[in-house]
Amino acid sequence: MGEIRVGDPDVELDAPAHTKGVEEGNSRRRRQSGHHDDGTADARRSTGIRPKKHDPILPIMPNLPPG
Amino acid sequence: MTATKPKPAAGQKPGELVEMAWDPITRIIGNLGVYTKIDFANRVVAECHTTSSLFRGYSVFMKGKDPRDAGFITSRICGICGDNHTTCSVYAQNMAYGIKTPPLAEWIINLGEAAEYMFDHTLFQDNLVFVDFCEAMVKQTNPSVLARAEATAAPGRDIHGYRTIADIMRAYNPFEGEVYREALKVSRTTREMFCLMEGRHVHPSTVYPGGVGTMPQPTLFTDYLSRLISILDFVKKAVAMNDDVFDFWYEALPGYEEVGRRRVLLGCWGAFQNPDVVDYRYETMSNWGRAMHVTPGIVVDGKLLTTDLVDINLGIRILLGSSYYKDWVGEEEPFVKYDPLGNPVDIRHPWNQTTLPDPQKRDFDDKYSWVMSPRWFDKNSGEHLALDTGGGPFARLYTTALAKMVDTPYVKSTGKSVLISLPKSQRLPEMTLEWTIPRWSNALERDRSRAYFIAYAAAMSLYFLEQAMERMRGGDMRVFAEFDVPDEAIGCGFHEAVRGTLSHHLVIRDRKIANYHPYPPTPWNGSPRDSYGTPGPYEDAIQNMPIFEENGPDNFKGVDIMRAVRSFDPCLPCGVHMYVGGGRTLKKIHSPMFGASHG
Repeated sequence: MGEIRVGDPDVELDAPAHTKGVEEGNSRRRRQSGHHDDGTADARRSTGIRPKKHDPILPIMPNLPPG
Repeated sequence: MTATKPKPAAGQKPGELVEMAWDPITRIIGNLGVYTKIDFANRVVAECHTTSSLFRGYSVFMKGKDPRDAGFITSRICGICGDNHTTCSVYAQNMAYGIKTPPLAEWIINLGEAAEYMFDHTLFQDNLVFVDFCEAMVKQTNPSVLARAEATAAPGRDIHGYRTIADIMRAYNPFEGEVYREALKVSRTTREMFCLMEGRHVHPSTVYPGGVGTMPQPTLFTDYLSRLISILDFVKKAVAMNDDVFDFWYEALPGYEEVGRRRVLLGCWGAFQNPDVVDYRYETMSNWGRAMHVTPGIVVDGKLLTTDLVDINLGIRILLGSSYYKDWVGEEEPFVKYDPLGNPVDIRHPWNQTTLPDPQKRDFDDKYSWVMSPRWFDKNSGEHLALDTGGGPFARLYTTALAKMVDTPYVKSTGKSVLISLPKSQRLPEMTLEWTIPRWSNALERDRSRAYFIAYAAAMSLYFLEQAMERMRGGDMRVFAEFDVPDEAIGCGFHEAVRGTLSHHLVIRDRKIANYHPYPPTPWNGSPRDSYGTPGPYEDAIQNMPIFEENGPDNFKGVDIMRAVRSFDPCLPCGVHMYVGGGRTLKKIHSPMFGASHG
């Protein structure tokens, strides 16, 4: 910092997001319901309430669950 | 010297220099001041210094932080184009983590960034730039030009509906003019488009390394599309009005091409990744850089020197000279000696830079700014080029036009121009606009290109929408890639902020940031004289510039200088205080936000 006088650093990293053992959003081990390995998704992505009822009625239809 | 050579002083009268200063001239990161000496006898600006009195220190306090936070922190560098920083940081982090954004997420980011360009350029051009060209302003600075405008028919009348040039200028009047008010509505719509894709404006909440948190669904894209189509009339009219006004300006004030003119020294770092090509690996950066939908490049005197992002990266040098910093060369060890391709990396490259602030009194003969002097080292000529961004769109269109690499159904580069096709909109038919490379790099051409780039971004987003919808209908909903933060890595991101080149350079050690240097466009444009004495682009553009304003020193508004600086889009212009030499201070509040006072 050159010759500027600065105070002691008193900010800690955000603990819960960066503690070992706590799952992180970007983690490779994390699994998210409704997301398939091939990049497709199903209605479980959008709802936990009887999701299969919200999937498309024909197999040729793409599965486009709402956000 | 990379600066424009001064014209021969033949036939000049011995003039009396009057010092004039505008500080702050803008709201750019707090403070940008322009200090000039004006020769009123010869109506020319004799000397110019630009200065910033604010130290930010992002590169200082980023050290030791979690690299995943970088996008969110650096977004706060700017309150108007923060999302460009997030995106650029994400590009740099992707390289460091060795990951690739899934294609659908890449289209979503491109759509968000296109909306940002449309939003910001519209707001800046119609609500801020044209305050300097509106009827209320010209009435005070150049009454004869206004009289002529009243009698000049507007060639694009069939498109925009204004009979004379003066009618267009009246429509630009702040708060009262039709265009001014419509532009505010368009900014709102484009901001909504942005928020659909990136969650929040201007600090995105859904853009991360590895992808986006935006949920792809049909209505996401149709909501964007319907808003886009609703502004196309405005975009087409804006281009026609810009052409009419600027063509008239050249006619009405012969020699106006010299205002804000400098050598063609342009840099563009490329925008809109192509997901079919980009993999964010440094080793393949030349390929995926060239596949971008705005081609990166460096143009010197109308010739394209390179389109290779690796060349561009290795040539960046951060020089000191007139900045309040101590030199790090010899003081600090380099972080990166060789890039992943084995090329040596200079100690003055952002990867190796250390910020050592050294505050002191402002002295125009020595150190006078907190801005450093970024330059691009041309290994062929051995010069450190003071590149400018032409306000952003000028360099983007220039390199894209020359490189002849962009070829999409809506935008095509021809080698000397860019063709932009826009479909039928509410009132106007399908139109193809052509931006051709102009003869000069000056204030009017920088401003004109801004209107064309709004059209460019609109046309490109139609293409991005088609690509995204096709992918989504195929069932591909993946928008995020998982990753682990490596112990040690380096990364660089190249993007275009709205007003020009943006790069982020990142070094990770122990899973923390060891060095981080963002270089946005305004340090390039607003840099002071470097260690070789080369002035920065604003200084270069203003020095030796003729003055066309009809007012004398007592009621001088400095509108020509304003037009020159503002053509570079130095973020948002606001209050200007004017100081006339001899200790007399004229306090004029020149603020577009209080437009009523212009009337």
